[in-house]
This record gives sequence, structure tokens and C-alpha cells, in this order.
Amino acid sequence: MSVTTLTRDVTWPGLRPWLGTLVRLGLAAVWLFAGAAKVGDLAGSGRAVNAYQVMPFEVAKVIGAALPFVEITLGVLLVVGLATRAAAAISSALLLVFIAGISSAWARGLSIDCGCFGSGGQLAAGQSPSYAPEIARDLGFLVLAAFLLVWPRTRLSIDRWLEGTT
Amino acid sequence: MSKRQQGKSAAKVVRKQLAAERRRKRTMWVSIAAVAVLVIAGLIGWGVYQSQRSDAGPLVAPASATTTTGETLGTGPVQVQLYEDFICPHCKDFEATSGSAINDLVNDGKIKVTYNTVAYLDPASTTEYSTRSAAAAACAADGGKFKEYHDALYAQQPAEGSAGLSNSQLIAIGTGMGLDQGSFGQCIDSGRYKPWVASVTDAAAKAGVTGTPTVVVNGQVIPNPTPDAIVAAVNAA
Repeated sequence: MSVTTLTRDVTWPGLRPWLGTLVRLGLAAVWLFAGAAKVGDLAGSGRAVNAYQVMPFEVAKVIGAALPFVEITLGVLLVVGLATRAAAAISSALLLVFIAGISSAWARGLSIDCGCFGSGGQLAAGQSPSYAPEIARDLGFLVLAAFLLVWPRTRLSIDRWLEGTT
Repeated sequence: MSKRQQGKSAAKVVRKQLAAERRRKRTMWVSIAAVAVLVIAGLIGWGVYQSQRSDAGPLVAPASATTTTGETLGTGPVQVQLYEDFICPHCKDFEATSGSAINDLVNDGKIKVTYNTVAYLDPASTTEYSTRSAAAAACAADGGKFKEYHDALYAQQPAEGSAGLSNSQLIAIGTGMGLDQGSFGQCIDSGRYKPWVASVTDAAAKAGVTGTPTVVVNGQVIPNPTPDAIVAAVNAA
């Protein structure tokens, strides 16, 4: 009897919602840091978007100003575990756009900072871009988002609490 | 199984289906609400940015500058555009190594040089020193002391991550050059040229300048702006 309890405790279905909580909080931290780093310099955020040279400057300014607020909101949704699957889906979509943007900057031979965590897309003189690590990092974040997209039910979440109310 | 039992289990199945349907609907509405909140957050960001811009006051350009470009010195035929940030250490290095070559080119009547004093590095100080220093240099331009003031700011460049020079220190540098304490001080304290700095910075970003210092000779970016490279580019132009 005690043996079956023990094995049941460490099974994947038992562990997964807790692992999901860790993943959710990890992805939340990513968005909160990314947003907080940019929110104090919205003009710089717009310049960072513009540095990719994929849209007119006026559009880049709008995206650059909106993005930090969207990132922080995503972070808050993930911290409290509300609409986890939707937040994971939007996270995945955003990360795919970022990865595409960095790849295209790399392919076009641009010399920019990704601006992922602030810094306004500016690369200090003599500093070479680090596209591969930036893409690898975003792919790691994408794995977190994909986990939550597949298994959005996590412990210590508002989603779970709502589930219990019906 | 009796009829009664069958009826009970059928009711159970129906209840389960109804509960699943309720969950599905709730998840959908929660998701829609979350997306709406994200859209609203984005709109708030744009609104905050717009109000930051309009709160800064009207856009006026200082002497020898336009609303989108910096102070221009010299009257030579070749146009040199410099993009500098007063807190950028590499700009200080650039001024130390290439500044005199540019001065010579101006004095020899070969170039006119535009100092686009951009504020790319406002987050690099705790007091938006990039914007404040560029605006102060614009105030000095009104008093005819742009270049002198520009050189003084590089000589006293604060470290990245610091608070930078205070407004009263910026004013003291100017009065030390003979600028009028009253009008120069008022120009700095009121932030008269802060909107202009933002405008020049925007124009630089729009022109594709992603870093400072950037040196452009007759429309061509000089990738490694040594004195020799600049002189060669000017002579070739």
C-alpha cells in the first residue's frame, strides 16, 4: 500500500502541475524583467525596434512604446496564473517574432543589439553583435512557453481556483 | 443494469458534459479578457509615450541648428555629420583622437560639420544626463559658445551609471566661459531645448544611426572613424 502511494507521488501526472508552476513563474520573470528594463525609456525602446529596419520609424515607435507594457502584463498574468494557455500562446507568438527579427538582422548583416532587455538597440563601439546566444536564449524561453501551451494547468494558479468554483 | 440505474448514469453523463461545456466557455471568456487586457496595456504604453512627448513643451531649435539636426560649424563644401552622446565613453575617445582633425578641416574651409548631440543613453545615467547635457549645449549655442561648451562637457564627462553633472554644474561650466548666468541658467533650468534633443535623437534613429559615435561624410558612414579615415573620406568627396 505504502509502495503504491510512493510511486503515485512521483508520477508525471502528479509532478507536472508543480513543474508547470515553476515554468510559469520562470516565464513570468522573463517578461517582467524584459518589460521593466524598457519601460523607463520608451523612446529608446522604439529606437531598438527601429534598429531592426523592418518597419517605418513611426510604426517602430508605436511598437516600442507598447511592447514593455504588454510584456509586463503578460508577466503579471503568468505570475497569478490567469488565462495561462492564452498567455503562453501570446508568449510563444512574441518569442517567434523576436527570433525571426534577430535572425533577419543577422542574415542582413546588421550590427545591432537585440534590445531584448533594454539598451535601445545600440551596440557599443567595437562590440560585435551576439545573435546566436540571443536566439538560443529566446529558444529556451520558447520551450517554457510551449510547455504551458501544452499543459496550462498548474498549481497555485487563479485558473485552478476558478476551476474549483464550478 | 436496471432502468433506474441507467437513467441515473445517463444523467451523470449529461451533468459532466454540461460542466465541461461551462469550463470550456469560461476558459474562452477568460482568454478573450486576457487578450483584451494585453491590447489595452499596449495602448496605455503608446499613450504614456505620447504624453511624455507633449509634456516636454514646444519644439524650438537653438542657434545654428534645425529642428531635426544639431549645431553646424564651418562653411566648407563637404558635409560631415557627427552623432554623439555626451555620456558615451567612446564619443569621448573619438573626440580625443579625431576632434583636432575635424577642427582643422573646419578651419581649412574643407567641411561643414554638424554635431548631432543625441540622447541615446538616457538610461546610462540616473538623471537623463544625455538629454540634459545636449540641451545645455544648445543653450550654450545660443550664447555662441557651442564648441567650447561641447569640448568642456567631454573633458568633464561623468561615468556611465552615475547621476552625471547636475544642472547647477552645467550652468557653472557655461558661466565660466562668460555665458550670462541669468539667461543661460534659465535656459537650462526650464529645459527649453529638451524637446529639440528628443527631435534630433528621433531624426538620427530614423536615419538609421544605431550607435554613437557615428561619423557620416557626404552621406557615407565611416565604419572606423580614425583621423586618417575621415580626412581621406573628405578628400575623396
